[in-house]
Amino acid sequence: MSIGALYVHVPFCARKCSYCDFASEATRADDPRMDGYLDERIAELDRCRGLGMLGSCKTAYLGGGTPTFLGAARLGTLASRIRTSCPNLTEFSCEANPDSLTEKVIATLRDAGVTRISIGVQSLDDEELRCLGRIHTADQARACVTVAVTAGLNVSVDLMCAIPRQTDESWQQTLHEVIALGVGHVSVYPLAIEEGTPFGKRYGDDTPPWNDEDVQARRMECAERLLAAADLIRYEVASYARDGRQCAHNIAYWTGVPYLGLGPGAASMLDAPTYEVARDLFDWLPPRPHDASRMRFSTLDAEVEFLSAREAWAEDLMLGMRLTRGIEEGRLEAVPDTRDDLLARGLVERAGGRLVPTHDGWLLGNELFAALWDCR
Amino acid sequence: MNTQTDTSLIRNFSIVAHIDHGKSTISDRILELTHTVEQRDLYKQMLDSMDIEQERGITIKSNAVRVLYDADDGKQYQFNLIDTPGHVDFTYEVSRSLAACEGAVLVVDATQGVEAQTVSNALLAMNADLEIVPAINKIDLPSAEPEQVRAEIEEVLAIPADDAVCVSGKTGEGIHDLLESIVYLIPPPTGDASAPLKALILDSYFDAYRGVVAMVRIFDGSIRAGDRLLMMAEGQPFLAEEVGVKRPLEQPLPQLGMGEVGYLVTGLKDPALVKTGDTITGESRRCVEPCPGYHEAKPMVFTGIFPVDNKYYENLRDALEKLKVNDPSLTWTPETSVALGFGFRVGFLGLLHMEVVKERLEREFDLDLIATSPSVDYHVYLTDGQMIEVTSPQDLPVPEKIERIEEPYLKATVIVPPDYVGAVMQLLVDHRGTSTDMVYLSEKSVEMHFDIPLAELILDFFDQLKSRTKGYASLDYEFSDYAPSPLVKLDILLAGEEVDALSFIVHRDKAYQLGRGLCDKLKEIIPRQQFEVPIQGAIGNKIISRSTVKAHRKDVLAKCYGGDITRKRKLLEKQKEGKKRMKSIGRVDVPQEAFLAVLKVDDE
Repeated sequence: MSIGALYVHVPFCARKCSYCDFASEATRADDPRMDGYLDERIAELDRCRGLGMLGSCKTAYLGGGTPTFLGAARLGTLASRIRTSCPNLTEFSCEANPDSLTEKVIATLRDAGVTRISIGVQSLDDEELRCLGRIHTADQARACVTVAVTAGLNVSVDLMCAIPRQTDESWQQTLHEVIALGVGHVSVYPLAIEEGTPFGKRYGDDTPPWNDEDVQARRMECAERLLAAADLIRYEVASYARDGRQCAHNIAYWTGVPYLGLGPGAASMLDAPTYEVARDLFDWLPPRPHDASRMRFSTLDAEVEFLSAREAWAEDLMLGMRLTRGIEEGRLEAVPDTRDDLLARGLVERAGGRLVPTHDGWLLGNELFAALWDCR
Repeated sequence: MNTQTDTSLIRNFSIVAHIDHGKSTISDRILELTHTVEQRDLYKQMLDSMDIEQERGITIKSNAVRVLYDADDGKQYQFNLIDTPGHVDFTYEVSRSLAACEGAVLVVDATQGVEAQTVSNALLAMNADLEIVPAINKIDLPSAEPEQVRAEIEEVLAIPADDAVCVSGKTGEGIHDLLESIVYLIPPPTGDASAPLKALILDSYFDAYRGVVAMVRIFDGSIRAGDRLLMMAEGQPFLAEEVGVKRPLEQPLPQLGMGEVGYLVTGLKDPALVKTGDTITGESRRCVEPCPGYHEAKPMVFTGIFPVDNKYYENLRDALEKLKVNDPSLTWTPETSVALGFGFRVGFLGLLHMEVVKERLEREFDLDLIATSPSVDYHVYLTDGQMIEVTSPQDLPVPEKIERIEEPYLKATVIVPPDYVGAVMQLLVDHRGTSTDMVYLSEKSVEMHFDIPLAELILDFFDQLKSRTKGYASLDYEFSDYAPSPLVKLDILLAGEEVDALSFIVHRDKAYQLGRGLCDKLKEIIPRQQFEVPIQGAIGNKIISRSTVKAHRKDVLAKCYGGDITRKRKLLEKQKEGKKRMKSIGRVDVPQEAFLAVLKVDDE
């Protein structure tokens, strides 16, 4: 009983960014809890392997927090254990922050079997970085991207748009530079002001002009245009890649592949057989109701969401539409009204036997997703 | 057996005040000082038993509580404390309560002085021939100016204020003196204990087990449980099932005697038969004349009330019927709207009444409701000589069939410091008001009298008055008469479709301004949709204003935190929940508050 993807969460950061509401904690680089954390994950990995959960796991992802904040030694140990626990990995990604992604860390990751590095660049304008509460400079980002590319790793950079101080020009400038650095993958996220974050506290329910939805749309469109011109093609709402450089782990999330998350704040999605095995791994998992075919939980909430077969089906439709390639039209045969409505509203269009999101369907994805989730 | 209380020991009185001057806290203190309610049992403002009354600090229903006061002269007096509604919407109810009294305690805030409802309530009390005991409240506050207020009471109200008692409802200071003043200043009731029964209904409420319970004041005769009685105006006979007094919980008594105030269980199941202001007499031994002043409460303001989801239409009807049981002034007729489906056109005594009822419907009956713009009762004279009453813009006939339209006018009074006279004058001009006269009450206050169409007053007049006078102005009004006005129907089109529920009857000269204001306000209220939504204002076929809600450009959650789909889906479901509270009109999702946008149009 095996999962298709493994996510390991590293909940430590040097500093919490002003927009971040994800489970992570700012701490010192010598925080002894990091060793304890490491031991726990390694023990979990061993048990997973013992239970036979990782045999067919194709992709692994070390996310954060800031995995590189663990330092070369700890990170190398963790990455190697992941690599050896999952004998059939075809893709192994690690998130990184420019301030802690040293040459040594890059070499360590490569030696441990990491194939892909996703760097939190966000912007190549120092003033914008400062406003986001990032602790690195644009130069640090440029340098580490170059090193990682040179080291032969698949390099992805995360960029943020609709952020303070950003202009259409500075955004284009950032995009051009990133393209010139030779990366094979880019993710573009408009900043979301989340409750409880410094931005959320500052703005409440108000939208500052820099985060206006028109600005978000314009920047996303600009990114799509410039990146496409450099053969970085959008394959998902926020993801762009050169041919063959798409992130298989990311695609797994949208295509109903069961995945296991380890570490606090990591999300898991399991089918019935893998859930039964996972109950030996996490003793807090409640028994599965007989009609539940998909289970979602995060270790942080210690709460399981049980989805029926019908719900899982509707969820797959919804998630499938995050991908540019959309879904096979036949999958909507059971709900012709929804299909026709989405076509009439111009949110999807037909393309070679598939229904694919239109430009509107991309930028107004929530309309599309909500309509499909309503089919449950 | 004669159980008639010595009437020389009875004092029936009301406490009247401008809103927030502390009427309820003084009532609470009196209950406490006479040990009617022990302090530990006393929750704030005991007499206001409805949630909304407590929350808003306003009294909606009348109530009468008996307290026994051991006076300094060694005798025990029976005080019947009649609490009255405290808002201009409920003037009739106030007048009926006052008719049950011999005296009134006029509470004036020592920091605010005489305000509009101080004057109107004092006048009501004087018209009812009541002995007035002025009480200057909140003397514990540092900003209290009791001497100034005393002078104002004498000057403005021509009430000798030497006897005015200085009190603090908060600390209890002066309450004992107030009780002594009540004993000495307010006369005992007079009447004929052996004459046929004559009792006034002050108010009533519905009890699921016992039917309608009336609060009554006995002028002549007495009521014993088991008596066969008659509602004079209604012509309805009934049996007195129980009589008693509230202290403040009900305490049954063998009889209510001449001069007393108490409750009467009528056993009647239909609240419409028990009308405030009606007279109760014996079924066989009847009094000659009923108590004067009875008339049916007439609704002043009308709005459409619709369930957001039409399947709750019957629930809304049931809820209205349940509310009417304790609020007989509520009236309604079914109304159908193309945009909103089935609902009711509901008549209210005023805007506050409307707000309170809508809130109770939503809260107590768990309904999601849309209220449409308030309207008044227009008298529309047709070219064929017929007159029809129109309370809903959609019922207005086409202009060709209309000879003229008359609208209700009010006589209104504003009391304001002299500095703000100019601002109030401007507001009157903006709202088609005409000043009739102006009196300087003192150096600090001017009383302005004016005529104004009710339709103007029910929009944002009161809020504007408050904001333009920095909260200093107070307002009071009464219906005066109908007068003709050049009125037109302003229609609103969303995405090219006329939305009947957004139509509004307006003075011709104000139509353009309001049309513009409404289009702009609706643009703020209606969220962006997948398509651009033009909003147009029109009179007949002529478009007079427009605005546009831009198309939604971006609505997608881009970031995925380590595959946390649950969180994404929850956000989608939250968005959908928000949409469910909106009304789909054609392809446009319209929030509930859009239908009351006219109340929020800033006409500056």
